[in-house]
Amino acid sequence: MDSDSNSVESSVYSMPRTAELDNNTYKNQRTPAVRNSDNKYPNSKGKDFDMNCDGPAVDVRELAQHHLNNTKEYGGHAAINKLPPEVLLLIFSQIPHKPDLVPLLTVCRKWGDLVVELLWFRPSLTDKRAVAGIKEVMSLERSSTYWDYRRYIRRLNLSFVVQKVDDHFLHLFEGCTNLERLTLVNCSGLTHTPIVGILQGCSKLQSVDMTGVKDITDDIFNALAENSPRLQGLYAPQCPQITNGAFLNIVRNCNMLKRVKVSDCANINDQSILELVEKCKSLIEVDVHNCPEITDESLQVLFADLEQLREFRISQNTNISDNIFRNIPEFMLFERLRIVDFTSCVRITDRTVERIVVCAPRLRNVVLSKCLSITDASLRALSSLGKNLHYIHLGHCSNITDEGVITLIDRCRRLQYIDLACCSQLTNRSVAALKDLPRLRRIGLVKCTNINNQGIMEMIRGRGDNDSLERVHLSYCLNLELYPIFKLLMACPKLTHLSLTGIDCFLREEITRFCRDAPPDFNEHQKSLFCVFSGQGVKKLREYLMQEYQKGTIPPIQMDRVMNNANRLLPAPIPHFNPENRRLVHFRELLAQRIEMREQLPQPQIPPQPQLQPGLIPFVDQFPPQPLNGQGLLPVINRANFFRDLQPVVIDDEDEVMDESD
Amino acid sequence: MTEKIRLTTSDDQEFIVERNIIERSVLIKNLLNDTGYDEDSEAIPLPNVRSSVFKKVIEWAEHHKDTTFPDDDDEDARKSAPIDDWDKDFLKVVDQEMLYEIILAANFLNIRPLLDAGCKTVAEMIRGKSADEIRRTFNIVNDFSPDEEEAIKRENEWAEDR
Repeated sequence: MDSDSNSVESSVYSMPRTAELDNNTYKNQRTPAVRNSDNKYPNSKGKDFDMNCDGPAVDVRELAQHHLNNTKEYGGHAAINKLPPEVLLLIFSQIPHKPDLVPLLTVCRKWGDLVVELLWFRPSLTDKRAVAGIKEVMSLERSSTYWDYRRYIRRLNLSFVVQKVDDHFLHLFEGCTNLERLTLVNCSGLTHTPIVGILQGCSKLQSVDMTGVKDITDDIFNALAENSPRLQGLYAPQCPQITNGAFLNIVRNCNMLKRVKVSDCANINDQSILELVEKCKSLIEVDVHNCPEITDESLQVLFADLEQLREFRISQNTNISDNIFRNIPEFMLFERLRIVDFTSCVRITDRTVERIVVCAPRLRNVVLSKCLSITDASLRALSSLGKNLHYIHLGHCSNITDEGVITLIDRCRRLQYIDLACCSQLTNRSVAALKDLPRLRRIGLVKCTNINNQGIMEMIRGRGDNDSLERVHLSYCLNLELYPIFKLLMACPKLTHLSLTGIDCFLREEITRFCRDAPPDFNEHQKSLFCVFSGQGVKKLREYLMQEYQKGTIPPIQMDRVMNNANRLLPAPIPHFNPENRRLVHFRELLAQRIEMREQLPQPQIPPQPQLQPGLIPFVDQFPPQPLNGQGLLPVINRANFFRDLQPVVIDDEDEVMDESD
Repeated sequence: MTEKIRLTTSDDQEFIVERNIIERSVLIKNLLNDTGYDEDSEAIPLPNVRSSVFKKVIEWAEHHKDTTFPDDDDEDARKSAPIDDWDKDFLKVVDQEMLYEIILAANFLNIRPLLDAGCKTVAEMIRGKSADEIRRTFNIVNDFSPDEEEAIKRENEWAEDR
């Protein structure tokens, strides 16, 4: 490059007198892009955790000099080894394929000491060979291995090799005191003893996931309380043995807790929750699934206190009622709340749903299955979540009707998951309305006995070819026949799961041979009705039905002219003013005030509303039209932030988020 | 008219660079914002950067003055982004020594996209080579004893490709 180009002018001036201003400020500003601190893993996930990255910036010159001084010890005079270790690490971390790192271990001591950390940071226990190899190394005496590998293991995930995991295996990892994450998902063969053992000395532990571990005991909780004050994620579902004392011990010692899952435990009570909320101010996820002793009393405090809450799950709790949200302060908004699950909380009614959608306008997942009192009023309220709602489960809400479902679908076009199992009043009109959800991946219509071929055909026709659907549940939709299922299979190339249990015309050897095995605990009768296809089974069923269709053995079904008439799909107009909506008016006014209070919310840009059929969205029609509509209410979510926020911390990069199984 | 910033490299060369160019360096950008630099201010000393290296850095920043890079905090986007073609050529023509000095300068000046491009370039030089080949490429002396090397290979065999 030419030294006298326009922008770069080199001159002969000597360096000016060191100016005080420049020099002092300069020191404070010295922030290289990568520092030599504990956080050497720039590409690691887990953004919810505060990695220790605020160590002092190390002067690059010092480091470079340090390594120049150490050339005898480290790798000779190679130019590349002038780079400080944090930069070398950055280079090595650009090699994504772990096996490519192995040769680097033996290049020279300097490289080896860096690469061993990358390689053992999260040992990839994903196949037999790796398990055997790591097991062998862990079994060796420290004095006979080159490195003390236990020091480097920061994340240990045994959930991909559960069949190899027993007490002896986990015991080998005792002494990994730098452990930050421990994932034991589905390691059902473990007892508490090695878990207690591995926790000894783990003062940096940030999360432990014991989902599927059967022997979750007080000893484990006490070990966490004693050893791991930095614990942020505690996933211990199905822990009936845990006493309130052990839980409180964790709460009192681990004040950084963010995500807590303790379920199926009758010892967790209001005192547990009250102390949790009082001591752990960073909570963002609370899952107290099937903890029947918890009541509105403690949850009122929780909801009055935890504005930053993101996920809340409770189920099978007969204490909680519409009073649960009673103490939410007037102007409080749960802007981060994305997931609520009230499965089988039978006292919850439309009041609660109407309240939560106003307080938490960005809800993404709402589970209300077996909330038997839910009616269309809840669906109208939920429809105000608009594009934010992606996941809705309304199984067994048998009061809901086509009107509610169609309103919901019309306003929440980004739904990806909808379950309407056992909503026995629903008809083909609801099914046909599903055509309006372009992102839909999963439909649950089990035991919607009114639906028939026409509804499915209309839905397929509306959704078109190359459908996004992946999982479709139609078991016990007794009126279905071969042709619409054939059409469904042809239109949905991504389909991986199709359930047709209990439907007569599919219970034939030619078809059930592609079906997967019934669960072992089913009785003979249940087994005879079982008809679920997944993965390759779906593909084979599709091929088979295609052959049969070409042979002419699947008679096409003509579309019913009545179904083709679009007007039939519109909900009937609401006959007269619905008094329930008066409360909604109140909530909406309240919400408007809240938003006014919060100046940071930008004024929404209101797109012109399409002319709607009167009565199509009764809920909205009753209010001053703008800006109080679900579409324009909220600032656009930054997609990147949005999805980052949603990543559960205790899930490692390679973990798959498992879809629900049936 | 664009503001000009004066900077002095470790070998006492003074440079005058347009503010919007030099602000690719987050270090300098923050410094300028925090101290209220004006034309009477002293030149900013860069005690870690030689003039020949700084020229290359400025050449890079000039070329990329209108480029939009992934956000510095967006690890995934930054990691998955391939090396820009111009950067590839730019870093190819320099010798190894200069490449490392550019990386060091990018690190010190906090210019994340240049640092990433440099690191990816070196990673490419390493990837897929045996330990011996790497030592030859980078002129590194093996300071392990044969026994140590053997032990390390044995203890880490599980991580190799099948």
